[in-house]
Amino acid sequence: MTGTDLKQEETRRVESRRVSFGLGLGVKLLFLAAVNALAVFGLPRMIEEKAWLFAAFTVVATLSLDWIYLSSKGATLPLKYLIPGTILLLVFQVWPVLSTAYIAFTNYGTGNVFTFDQALDKILEDSTFPQDDDPRLDAKPLAIVDGELIGEIALYLVDEAGVEFLGTADGLEELAVEDVVLDGDRVVGVGDYEVLGLAQVSDLQEEYSSLEIPAGENKLIKLTRGVSGASLVSPTLEYDSDTGTLTDLTTGVVYEQVEGTFTAPSGEEIAPGWRAIIGFDNFTKVLTNESIRGPFVRVFIWTFVFAIGSVFFTFIVGLGLAITLNQPEMKGQRVYRSLLIIPYALPSFLSALIWAGLLNQEFGVINEFLNLDIPWLRDQWMAKVSVLLVNTWLGFPYMFLISTGALQAIPDNLKEAAAIDGATSRQAFRQVTLPLLLVSLAPLLIASFAFNFNNFNTIFLLNKGGPPIAGAQTPAGHTDILISYTYRLAFESGRGADFGLAAGIGILIFMIVATISAISFKRTAVFEEINQ
Amino acid sequence: MIKRWKLLTAVFAVLALVAGACGGDDAGSDTTVAPTTTTQATTTTTVADTTTTTAASGDTTTTTAPPVVRADADLVIWADDTRTPVIRPFAEAFGADNGLTVAVQELGSGDIRDRLITADPAGEGPDIIVGAHDWLGQLVANGVVAPIDIADISDTFSDVAVSAFTYEGKTYGVPYAVESIALIRNTDLVPTAPATFEELETIALGLRDDGTVTVPLALQENGNGDPFHNYPLVTALGGYVFGSPELGYDPNDLGLDSPGGLKAAEAFGAWSESGLVNIDVTYDVMLDSFGSGDAPFAITGPWAVSSFGDVNYVVEPIPPVQGGTPAPFVGVQGFMVATNAANPLIAETFLLDVMAGEEAQLALYEAGNRAPANLAAFAVASEDPDVQGFGLSSANGFPMPAIPEMGSVWSAWTDAYELIFTGTDPQTAFKDAAAQIRNLIAGG
Repeated sequence: MTGTDLKQEETRRVESRRVSFGLGLGVKLLFLAAVNALAVFGLPRMIEEKAWLFAAFTVVATLSLDWIYLSSKGATLPLKYLIPGTILLLVFQVWPVLSTAYIAFTNYGTGNVFTFDQALDKILEDSTFPQDDDPRLDAKPLAIVDGELIGEIALYLVDEAGVEFLGTADGLEELAVEDVVLDGDRVVGVGDYEVLGLAQVSDLQEEYSSLEIPAGENKLIKLTRGVSGASLVSPTLEYDSDTGTLTDLTTGVVYEQVEGTFTAPSGEEIAPGWRAIIGFDNFTKVLTNESIRGPFVRVFIWTFVFAIGSVFFTFIVGLGLAITLNQPEMKGQRVYRSLLIIPYALPSFLSALIWAGLLNQEFGVINEFLNLDIPWLRDQWMAKVSVLLVNTWLGFPYMFLISTGALQAIPDNLKEAAAIDGATSRQAFRQVTLPLLLVSLAPLLIASFAFNFNNFNTIFLLNKGGPPIAGAQTPAGHTDILISYTYRLAFESGRGADFGLAAGIGILIFMIVATISAISFKRTAVFEEINQ
Repeated sequence: MIKRWKLLTAVFAVLALVAGACGGDDAGSDTTVAPTTTTQATTTTTVADTTTTTAASGDTTTTTAPPVVRADADLVIWADDTRTPVIRPFAEAFGADNGLTVAVQELGSGDIRDRLITADPAGEGPDIIVGAHDWLGQLVANGVVAPIDIADISDTFSDVAVSAFTYEGKTYGVPYAVESIALIRNTDLVPTAPATFEELETIALGLRDDGTVTVPLALQENGNGDPFHNYPLVTALGGYVFGSPELGYDPNDLGLDSPGGLKAAEAFGAWSESGLVNIDVTYDVMLDSFGSGDAPFAITGPWAVSSFGDVNYVVEPIPPVQGGTPAPFVGVQGFMVATNAANPLIAETFLLDVMAGEEAQLALYEAGNRAPANLAAFAVASEDPDVQGFGLSSANGFPMPAIPEMGSVWSAWTDAYELIFTGTDPQTAFKDAAAQIRNLIAGG
């Protein structure tokens, strides 16, 4: 290459760069800058929280995005399309699924929210809580203060007999009258120590709250009432880090670690427990525990009826309206279409609550308007009908929309051909239009089934799964579906919240829905053959 | 190939839907908190009450999205919307006196407990929370509250307040208010107090039958059944939830299907039939009907009285039912210190030196109408006839159970009432509920 060639090449490059330096590049750089800023903003926090996995992911994701979009090499072109989607998939799909799966194998829930270290600290700390007959002492926080620096800390203590002590981490020292520095009759110091104000204590609160002054065999003095009161206590529990057991010093009972809780041979437990992996316990509990399994079969069946019924009715109503409004001779199509979409445009939780009000037996508008006394939500069969009714109302606009779209995509000449071949309009619909519709709609119907299988909103907000099933082994309602029953079981019926169990049932539900969907998709392949 | 892609996409779509549905299991995310919140509001009736109270008492503050993270201050307090404005000046004065920064953060009353349970282990919780004693079972099981030594000031509080905050031998809070439900009588409609519940029933149904009122007894059932508000009538007939209330309740002695409990079930069946008790009376219906003179009697707590408007009323204990004295649940409100508080010593100092005192307790009384736990403050407050009436009523009761087993009671018992009100045999309904509760307790 000669010098002139090089120069020409250079000019060409500059020019091409100038051309691409348009709006597109600006937007691209703006986006990249935003992504990088977000990462820079988030990273210190992640590191502070020791969320190494997230931090590593953020670094890798950000750097790869920068590289892909800033590199001029053609090799990164496919990645430009793949990577953003993959990152979003990992963050919003894979991560929650994995984390749910992980929780399903733990005991996370009421009684087990701490880490092991937190729980152990808490248990040992509580075991030094003063009993009613433990001696109480008045206290003042002391420290050697040298200008800004605060050195060794101590406590000025007065026992019930009025004897004054200096307490340090080394032990107790009885004070003579001349050791105590007074301002009027207020104690302001002891020897070199000064009494601290609360603001100074606040800076050193870690040191003060962990200060334990030895006072004889298995006895210690610690602050128990803010900074102005201390107690002489005897710890009741001792931790052996070799065996990982706790021993009760008064009774000699040894507590071992059993599934995230210190447990005595008698089964007695010490609260709190900690988050621990407990294997398949949550799953076996669902499958074997009599009290959970009780209403399970009924709920299971109704879940299917509800999901299939919802898909069926919404589809029938939606399709029917779509066909009607697709007739060319129909007037005011746009108005009708806009009106029909209203239920879809309203937030479904709001609609469900409104419907609950409308269907109220005593005050509801529907009974009042029709002058009836129908127990819409209180009779088990009527409640099931109501739930399906409301869910159809909520869901048909979606079916209407997709059916309209699919209908318009079917070429008119196919119908004409059918008519020429002598098919009636019903035959043409059943044998030409419907199969073609199902080719594009079947996957959406399956998705709708999966959605309704877990349609917590409608069930819970309309009637909370009620009315109650009389005589069920655990509280359950006639319209409870698996997900709302899980919610009752894991969050409403026990000691508080059982995230582990909820995650376990969540995974079982996923397996059911995934299996059904996979089979259904296989089957819809039948429709596709029509296309060929 | 195309088919394979479709299948994959479909599997991911399904994955998405399921993940969306069980996203609540993902610890730490915001969705976790949301479902739990709803639970608590529905399970513990008192909590629901407290929330509605403030909404109804003309306090128009809408609770904004609660802060997830503790505020940046030396001392952080989480309180509900009624208590926040009262505590704030005391906290700020304490901070100014001692050179400390303080923050009082407002949360929905039910949110405080649930947020604490997730925030405290993460080190993002407050130093102090304001709450009810019946949260203790859950909070102690989780380990998120620290015991506080109030032995040397315990005689400045009423006994019931201290015993309510004593859990497994340790005291967990500085109490500030004691409350229970009582009978509220419209003195224009019913000038003299009925001596028995049977007399009350006759008067109430008589007034309904002659068209003076439409609601004979404004006892809220919230569309399903309300075990909390029904409880005094149950105890009067010999029923109970758990035995040995004076010893902190025995979870092995469930009293729903005891002879007294079954007698109470029968009574509710009869009252529902006569129309004395109506499933459709909600908190709002109770307020509206009693407040407009459309109900001669109401059974409710101190949170409601400020919403009764101009009606002339008197607060008194519920009269004996078939000769038995009604014993309502007593609720005690107090301050608790979080286990992983950033500043536990300062928090304890503030509670013991400031909030336990007469001045702060009187200020809290004025904001919430609940009788103060501090005896000196109570002496001042009890000049108010309402406080006296509620005081007489709660003197008959015991603190609401704080044991975690209580969590298994609410929904089963609510279901039982709903079944009775919709025509199921009352005894069967209570027996089934008792069996459900025993199942749940055994199942953990």
